[in-house]
Amino acid sequence: MIRNNTTQLAPNFQFSQSSLQDYVECKRRFQLRYIERVAWPAVQAQPILEHEARLANGQAFHRLVQQQLLGIPETRLTPVDDDLRRWWQAYLETRPADIEGRRYIEIALAATIADQRLVAQYDLVVITPQSAQIFDWKTSTHPEKPETTRRLFERMQTRVYRYLLVRAGADLNDGQSIAPEQVTMTYWFAETPEEPVHFAYNADQFAADERVLTSLITEIQMQELNSPWELTTQERTCAFCPYRSLCERGVEAGETQAGDEVEIELSTPGILDLDLDQIAEIPF
Amino acid sequence: MEFSTVQQGLIQAPLDRKIFVSGPAGAGKTTAGVGRLQWLLANRVPAQSILVLTPQRTLAFPYDTARHMPQLRPGGTVNLATIGALARRMADLFWPLAAEEAGFTHPDTRPIFLTLETAQYFMARIVGPLVEEQGYFESIAIDRNRLYSQIIDNLNKAAVVGFAITDIAPRLKSAWVGEKAQLRIYDEAQDCAIRFRHYCLEHNLLDFSLQLEIFVKHLWTEPLCRNYLLEQYPNLIVDNLEEDTPVAHEILQDWLPHTTSALLIYDEGGGHRSFLGADPVSAATLASLCDERLHFSASFVVTEPINALAKALEKAISPQKATEGQGREKAAVTQGSSLRSALHYDLHRFHPEMLDWAADTIAELVHHKGVPPAEIAVLSPFLSDALRFAMSNRLEQRDIAVRSQRPSRALREEPAAQALLTLAALAHPEWGSCPSRHDVATTLTCVIEALDLVRAQLLTDILYRTKGSCPRLEPFAGLKTEVQQRITYLLGGRYEALRLWLEHYNEAPSTELDHCLSRLFGEILSQPGYRFHQDYHAARVAANLIESVQKFRWIAGALPGEKPPAQEYVELVRDGVMAAQYIRDWEADQADAVLLAPAFTFLMSNRPVEVQFWLNVGSAGWWERLYQPLTHPHVLSRHWQAGRLWLDSDEVAARQETLDRLTQGLLRRCRHALYLGLSELGEDGYEQQGALLMAIQRVLRENHGT
Repeated sequence: MIRNNTTQLAPNFQFSQSSLQDYVECKRRFQLRYIERVAWPAVQAQPILEHEARLANGQAFHRLVQQQLLGIPETRLTPVDDDLRRWWQAYLETRPADIEGRRYIEIALAATIADQRLVAQYDLVVITPQSAQIFDWKTSTHPEKPETTRRLFERMQTRVYRYLLVRAGADLNDGQSIAPEQVTMTYWFAETPEEPVHFAYNADQFAADERVLTSLITEIQMQELNSPWELTTQERTCAFCPYRSLCERGVEAGETQAGDEVEIELSTPGILDLDLDQIAEIPF
Repeated sequence: MEFSTVQQGLIQAPLDRKIFVSGPAGAGKTTAGVGRLQWLLANRVPAQSILVLTPQRTLAFPYDTARHMPQLRPGGTVNLATIGALARRMADLFWPLAAEEAGFTHPDTRPIFLTLETAQYFMARIVGPLVEEQGYFESIAIDRNRLYSQIIDNLNKAAVVGFAITDIAPRLKSAWVGEKAQLRIYDEAQDCAIRFRHYCLEHNLLDFSLQLEIFVKHLWTEPLCRNYLLEQYPNLIVDNLEEDTPVAHEILQDWLPHTTSALLIYDEGGGHRSFLGADPVSAATLASLCDERLHFSASFVVTEPINALAKALEKAISPQKATEGQGREKAAVTQGSSLRSALHYDLHRFHPEMLDWAADTIAELVHHKGVPPAEIAVLSPFLSDALRFAMSNRLEQRDIAVRSQRPSRALREEPAAQALLTLAALAHPEWGSCPSRHDVATTLTCVIEALDLVRAQLLTDILYRTKGSCPRLEPFAGLKTEVQQRITYLLGGRYEALRLWLEHYNEAPSTELDHCLSRLFGEILSQPGYRFHQDYHAARVAANLIESVQKFRWIAGALPGEKPPAQEYVELVRDGVMAAQYIRDWEADQADAVLLAPAFTFLMSNRPVEVQFWLNVGSAGWWERLYQPLTHPHVLSRHWQAGRLWLDSDEVAARQETLDRLTQGLLRRCRHALYLGLSELGEDGYEQQGALLMAIQRVLRENHGT
């Protein structure tokens, strides 16, 4: 039972891998971003232009792959940026998802856990009679194994994506449930296309993920509503958090290294843009 | 939730049924629509196969809440969209298949999607020289931004109604009955629209009209895109069909035969967005494509007194309509006493007195009669800053939470945005743009915690220099000791840190204004000792401004002009060419508070309340069309007969229709009581005798003594 002075999430709130990752890394960041919805436009990482370019290129690459998977002839897909061209070439040469099966591109799945909706937006899911494969495109530079593999395995994305495909994937499989053992998740790196990282799944991991996710979401709902939540003890990460001035944990944004992963918020569960609203609001 | 029998019938209809449901607002259609969505999901219709279309984002909120309910089974997610959003998404995704055919000069490079703001900016680039050098539009006195926005509106009308942009002037001219000089204006407006379109095609720019045209003409007919949509979304729910445009209806007409199930919801008496191309007539034709037509007639919202008031007001505004429905008339008259139990008013001489009365009455309702604040809506035809402030202030003084909803705000009206733009000018002395002393003092007060305007003015008077059009803040240490003490060393230190930041920044300035503002915000203004540190509203304004600058840079920066985009942005905002508008976060406004909103905005949030207050009842704004010399919503609609003249009688009829539709729409969203804010003198100090006031007077006269 949730107490009255604990967190009440908005009726249309849904948890995602990125919001849970935020909570795991810093409870206060989660509170500011998702509960209080505080817009805080400080610089996230430096050099700003490079950071911005990497985000933009990452988005452009995801779009290119999506277009190719939808059947637009490759000859008509023409990346203009150098990085993008290189990544695209790597993708075409390795064709990481070139397998027979039903493809679900940019599909979102959701399930209720601890009385809250949890959603995941997949780059690609391929269903075959034997398997259910998740593909996630990464445009970060030069992942260094084994650290990358360990970090990826620990990320909420790996946990949430595999878990939700089992919990909510039946609709993608003619109503037949998907067993954990059928699921694999592949992180494909545009910079090192020959070294994708694969994670299998099993019933024990599924049960463990359910325990962890339930516990996390319950914990979030039990947090005190009107007081600041706990700040991260890993203060060095505050340099990459835009709320650092609000929490009085630094002034300037941290410098990203070439190999750092840049998380791209591509998850747009709806396609609800504001274009028509804007038209409605011309103050003639 | 419990449903009526008729709602239940709709909700539990077979999963392959296509249903058209109509009825007045408040009859439970959207509630049934949400119920139908839940029914489909509960019966194993894959969520990702369902698309909910609404003409405006706010109208989708009930579905947005429903698609996230914890009771839903695991599966995909329901998509929500507007036709405009769908068009943009498809244009983005299938661009390589449409660009060449649509006539773009560089089909191999990515499209640039324009916001309203950036469309206005490029329109300014094209139209500005024509106005200045060739005397375009010299016979009309109108702000530049309104000039540009009306040309954009003509392009949008062509797209949503479905006619060629070369038909803009012929249509407008053929209906014009006034002075011949106006005909030239229409030709010039069309010329500007065509030039703008060519410019867009040449530079891969997609404004709203072009996005929609590409979708309708090139992508909806392209098998890959069409099949993608038809296969992805075999189940459609379309709400407020009557508020959408003829082109949207044509898409649906083509889509419906391919769907497995469909629910089309049509609000009788709607069409409030007709000035944006909404077409209830074409919406109604879609009924013939459905298996079943239902009519919901009983209102779940309106009580009998409000119903009687609505009928009486309709009769007063549109007597001919009332004559058509004479059967009802007698009943309405006998309901006079019932009507008066719902209608409350008090006449005042001055506008502030009326506001005091409204605030006192609301306080009485909330504090003594148990009406929840969220069940009260205070509405007026427009919501000026002055009215918003005056009413909010009065309610807060009476310990009543208030929220104001305006669909968009000009950022330059926000003190936090003004302060940031002033600091941007100080950080870039090379622009040669010197803020006024008043602006600098106000900015210092706005950003430095505990600094009052008197001390800010003192600082500005002594330390702000504008030598050779080069603005500069001098060091705090340069002040005499007694002045330093008067300012205080604490505040002086804060001033000095800000000044040093600007100075250091200027030694190696960023080429990007949004980066400058973002750093300034994070490194100084949101640090302890500065006002943005705890001010979430100011931070939101800053975030919106920075986003606006960033979008402008991405778009305008791709096509360099005479000045750096940063400088150009600041000057355009300052000159009012760009309003730097932002969409308010409506969802953030769900608190238990009295709503203060323009009447149209309230209608488009589609949420009934117990009590409504109509302010400025005498204002002409309730029925007058805005002055739009370059465009015409009725003449450019699909139903205007070619060659017919727009006469005064048409204008009166259109106004009457608008007022009738608006008031009926409001009353259908009011449960118990309507309070009228009447003052002899309006907000501007002039006597008010608007059409709504006259109609109300007729209602009161006719129901006196019954």
